[in-house]
Amino acid sequence: MTSMGSTSFEITINLIKLVLVFLMMVQAVPILVWLERRGSAFIQNRFGPNRVGPLGLLQLLADAVKFLTKEDFAPEKGNRFMFYAAPVFALIPAAIAYMAVPMSVPLKLDGHTFLIQGFEINVGIVFILGISSLAAYTILMAGWGSGSKFSLMGAMRASAQIISYELALGLSIVGVILLYGTFNLTEMVNMQQGPLTFSMFGYTVTSSYLPNWGIFYQPVGMILFFAATFAESNRLPFDLAEGEAELVAGFHTEYGGFKMLMFFIGEYGHMMIASGLMTTFFFGGYGIPGISFQEMHQIGLNLLGTETLASIFNTVVHFLSYNLKFAIFLWIFIHVRWTLPRFRYDQLMDLGWKTMLPWALANTMLTAVVIFAASYFTI
Amino acid sequence: MTADVFIFWFLAILTIVSALSVVLMTNPIYSALSLAMTMVSVAAIFVTLQAYFLAGVQLIVYAGAVMVLFVMVLMLFDLKNELQAFSRGKFTGAIKVGAVGILAGLIVGAVGSFIMAGKSGAPVTPEASTSADATKALSEHLFFNHVFGFEALGVLLLVIAVGTVALSRSKGGTHAKH
Amino acid sequence: MPLGGVIFITVFIAIFGYILIRLARLTGGQAKKTSQAKFDIYECGIPVQEKKDTKISVKFYLTAILFILFDIEIIFMYPWAVNFRNFIASGAGLFVFTSMFIFLAIFIFGLWWEIKSKALEWD
Repeated sequence: MTSMGSTSFEITINLIKLVLVFLMMVQAVPILVWLERRGSAFIQNRFGPNRVGPLGLLQLLADAVKFLTKEDFAPEKGNRFMFYAAPVFALIPAAIAYMAVPMSVPLKLDGHTFLIQGFEINVGIVFILGISSLAAYTILMAGWGSGSKFSLMGAMRASAQIISYELALGLSIVGVILLYGTFNLTEMVNMQQGPLTFSMFGYTVTSSYLPNWGIFYQPVGMILFFAATFAESNRLPFDLAEGEAELVAGFHTEYGGFKMLMFFIGEYGHMMIASGLMTTFFFGGYGIPGISFQEMHQIGLNLLGTETLASIFNTVVHFLSYNLKFAIFLWIFIHVRWTLPRFRYDQLMDLGWKTMLPWALANTMLTAVVIFAASYFTI
Repeated sequence: MTADVFIFWFLAILTIVSALSVVLMTNPIYSALSLAMTMVSVAAIFVTLQAYFLAGVQLIVYAGAVMVLFVMVLMLFDLKNELQAFSRGKFTGAIKVGAVGILAGLIVGAVGSFIMAGKSGAPVTPEASTSADATKALSEHLFFNHVFGFEALGVLLLVIAVGTVALSRSKGGTHAKH
Repeated sequence: MPLGGVIFITVFIAIFGYILIRLARLTGGQAKKTSQAKFDIYECGIPVQEKKDTKISVKFYLTAILFILFDIEIIFMYPWAVNFRNFIASGAGLFVFTSMFIFLAIFIFGLWWEIKSKALEWD
């Protein structure tokens, strides 16, 4: 456990932090569900839940109580072990992958440095891709454990869809890796500091107002990545796995109560990973345009006086900046769900294999050629 | 240090238990899931050896792709009748003898190499390296020393793709259309 | 890599999920068998067909195999991409660039062939 901290104090704090990040993720789900219901009502010109508490916010609590009073049911024909294990496993890949996303500048207290992320991983992207590819097992376990044909069909479709879009996802990231030359997410955020700077053929062009964000270098990569994450998290327009008209509810047809809720947490967890990665890869992570980390620290120092308070100020401000960007992407996920219709299955596969994969390939090759040409002609 | 030792033993026991359950489980789906578990814990063991990128590759390719295919296919075909295929029938005796022979050979080989390593001196401890160095060394090996193997692999994968498509096209056997 | 933390949180979440399911059973109670239909799997309300010979398209299998092949090819691009600038700086840029583009050409040929041979068509 060497890298979890050098003293027992640091190790304890870091382990508590892991639990906190997990609970934060779980707690965000009811809020997102509320947002989704209110948002969909807003889009469809309805009211949505607005009776329980102010703005219907206590609806979440009422729902939780309702979930708790549901009796525990497992179909007789299914496989009980798989049926109960699948929802528990749904939480694990989503939570662990989300913990690798950096959320703010490290907090410095009394000579200890605490990262505002579950754990820092040198090969961040590879780790997140690897862990979130395990999510396919959850779906297969649920589909097979239910013993229902709808569940099995839904699981087959969902897993074929997830693995198809994993290709486009993995390939759209190659351009990002080429751009930054690292797998480490924190280093990527640091590289996106400062104003936008292009340098090519010995000339350097600096923009006075645009930040140095990845989106200006990888616009195609961003679109492909975002589209692929929609498919990975099984959201509309890619929610073929639970097309109500054909498959009732897909792999979780037989689930109800808290077990159903855990699948929900897994799905929203994947949305959160996607939003966090979008922010980190293409929108400067927790950075604020125009102000560097040191400048923000200096502002804190002038305002609050002591080094410790300035560090806390710096961390909190960047954490808010991260959460603002993060929330925007979560809202886009919700907005798209209530705006676009569902694909047909062959259209879905065509989009993944015949459109997104070639575009991602072209993007990779173009990025490589530009980087190569830029360095070749300057020397 | 003790925490590292504890993690190593935890992972080692997890790997061996899940690998054993691959062969001891009678239900093929449980076997496949145990194999996936084995892959994940092997990836974790790669991490203890500071091979971070390889650990990621182990997760993405073996745990996330190959084993998903296995589990998918096993769930596609309900294998209730085939359960007995290897425990009854004409060739069972030969299969059993062969399997026991291979296992015995593996154990003898492992114990033998352990004894030989003990004679040659202390086990080699890897130098502490950062992940960037390790990945750089890996890509230098791959793109300089083994560049022909790398290109040949591309051709091999292409051949496999063509073969798979050709096999899935064949109309004979159980997929014959009337 | 903080492996200890990953193992810790995995075990923690597994226990958390187990307790949650236990708790829900405690508050909601075990499902009472009021009728056989309640415990059957859901099949649109008609009595369940016992026969379990669900035929599923071989396309799923083909998709999974093609996914593995392309996934392996993409994985090889990662160490190349992450060190591309280092290679250029050390003067080996052209060699590494060319070798990867030959690999990519094979990849693209494979993809083009899959599309042309209609292996990726779903009907």
